[in-house]
Amino acid sequence: MSAAAGRPVALHQFIAALNPHDATGTHTLKLRDALRAAGWRSEIFAEAIHDDLASEAYKHWMYPEHAAEGDVAIYQFTTSSAVAGYLAEHGLPLILDFHNFTGPEYFAGWEPRSVQRAATAAEELALLAPRAVLGMAKSPFSERQLRRAGCRRTAVVPVLADYGRVTAPPDPRVAAELAALGAGGGADILFVGRIVPSKAQHELVKALWAFRRLYDAEARLHLVGGTSSFEYNKALQGFAHDLGLAAAVRMTGEVSDASLAAHFAAADVYLSLSAHEGFGVPLVEAMVAGVPVVTRGAGAVAETVAGAALVLTAADPAYIAAALQRICSDDRLRATLTAAGRRRADEVSGDAAAARIIDAVSEVVTR
Amino acid sequence: MRDTEATLPADPQAYVEQVMAEIAEEVRLRRASGDLPPKLERELDELFLAHSPVAGRGGDLGEALRMVDAATFIDPVVPVDSERAAGAVVKKGMRSLLLWYVGWITHQMSQSASAVSRALHIVDDRLKELERQVEVQRVPGAAVVEFPALHRPDAWWVEPAVAAVAKAPGRVLHAACGDGWLVRRIAAAGGDAYGVDPRSHVVDRAELGILDLRGEGVAEHLRAVAAAGLGGIVLSGTVDGMAGGERTQLLAAIATRLAPGGTLVVHSVSREAWDSAGAPPEADLSPGRPLRPETWCRLLEEGGYEAAAQPGPGGEDFLVTAVRSSVTTPYSPPER
Repeated sequence: MSAAAGRPVALHQFIAALNPHDATGTHTLKLRDALRAAGWRSEIFAEAIHDDLASEAYKHWMYPEHAAEGDVAIYQFTTSSAVAGYLAEHGLPLILDFHNFTGPEYFAGWEPRSVQRAATAAEELALLAPRAVLGMAKSPFSERQLRRAGCRRTAVVPVLADYGRVTAPPDPRVAAELAALGAGGGADILFVGRIVPSKAQHELVKALWAFRRLYDAEARLHLVGGTSSFEYNKALQGFAHDLGLAAAVRMTGEVSDASLAAHFAAADVYLSLSAHEGFGVPLVEAMVAGVPVVTRGAGAVAETVAGAALVLTAADPAYIAAALQRICSDDRLRATLTAAGRRRADEVSGDAAAARIIDAVSEVVTR
Repeated sequence: MRDTEATLPADPQAYVEQVMAEIAEEVRLRRASGDLPPKLERELDELFLAHSPVAGRGGDLGEALRMVDAATFIDPVVPVDSERAAGAVVKKGMRSLLLWYVGWITHQMSQSASAVSRALHIVDDRLKELERQVEVQRVPGAAVVEFPALHRPDAWWVEPAVAAVAKAPGRVLHAACGDGWLVRRIAAAGGDAYGVDPRSHVVDRAELGILDLRGEGVAEHLRAVAAAGLGGIVLSGTVDGMAGGERTQLLAAIATRLAPGGTLVVHSVSREAWDSAGAPPEADLSPGRPLRPETWCRLLEEGGYEAAAQPGPGGEDFLVTAVRSSVTTPYSPPER
């Protein structure tokens, strides 16, 4: 695949929605910069564009105005989107940058629309994977999914994330608020992610209940992230209330980077009990921030943490509570996990991460 | 709790594994001491389910329709209460001004919702009729079939079954657990075991305060277990009489619930014992009949397990021990 004479090949990215403070959005913007730095022309085309990023991307249907011979499309595959059909129809040489998506089974009984959307995403993956000249996955777990969908050539490449945001100066107001909460004692347990059934925040609430009952009556759980599941969010609030944990479970909604940094700075432990993760950027963010991680080994989680966390095979509250107690009371374990976490974070972040993607792309596209 | 200075272990991986084992032991001791009775954990699950939407509680269409009917009418007369003195007057004025517009919109929305509700009721009626027809041809689920001479603590297969799962990487489930005799044995060997059994009268007799036993079927229970949430599963008396489809569904559920590296143990009676005069009446009433050990091994190997069968001394039964591959692959039933 090479360019017409005298003009560099264009590697344009397509995405369902380009949003700021969003793992895929950040990845797309950073990859655009890396592609340009490597000598390719590169623009972003999206079905939906956040107002704050209006100058960074074009609507996907505007692509013909920018099209040139030799163009290659990189599709940031996260969910179902009109972009998938558009790319299939236009027949551009395609690279799938696969971020994985949550299967319909996780939304069943909660969000009928999400069930339908996830099922459509699976169909779109089956449509595009066999056509792709390269499938880039964020984990071996996702790579196997790409292979099963029919992708013939695949590579595992890192997510380009802004990990530095968790060690940036924290929001002083939020930091003071969290410090005041912590002054009364009790561990601060943190989880970052959308409030949706697949992230299983209700399991976190159960774990908090058991942890408070058995070990630390003052412990708190901070759930940082917005929601796209009204029903699940409502159920979670009701559940916490019925358990007498309404004040101990803090649901912040979406927060700024500075507020996120304050939450990581105040956290004693990062706890994830997600039922499905294609990679898990917040796990790496916790490692960057020096917060020890306790997690279930679902999806790609065990591959993401690569031994730098307590990966539990059982998800019942008694186990989680015992693991939390151990990590909160054992200095040697904390030091071991945070040291391993920082090493692991170095492996998947930094300039080398972008270089790995450029290398993978260079094997199928000439500049 | 941050910025601790501690000596790092020479072999972090081995150290973390040791910590995990200590955590498992701590949990075992806590459970044994009654600090966190299994009943409380079950109540937590039920409490959360009570907050889930109708579909999450088992998809009761009748209840869902009642909710739809209740929500069909949209009231355009908004409340005007206010904490401020003039607030109520202002709100009432605004409501009067806008009522012609809001009322027109809500009237159409109510009509639309009523039409959807009527359509759903028709679907409900037709579904009920279909269910009545299907019921006549329904294949009943397999009951637990236990042979008194084979399902007992001193049976030959108990020792190898316990040894296979005692060090499993996670909790061990026994189905059908009866009064918990095998759960007790696995726990004594160091495993973190619990049991399920659809025969509630058997479970009711068990020492529920000490053992974690639940009165439900294995398939029903596995639906509520998290992916890769179990380190070992022992099936005894549950799969012999299953129809093919029911068995396939159970294996598919096990494939997602059993952690990579986990162990599945199947104890089955032989076909000869199943057809013998001494077999319990439940054997006759079951929709299926036992598979041969070779068939079990083949089924499990096709599902990504390393399986081996061990025949019983009297030819009446056998034990299949299968270790799930450490690479996660979805179970897909072989095409036949």
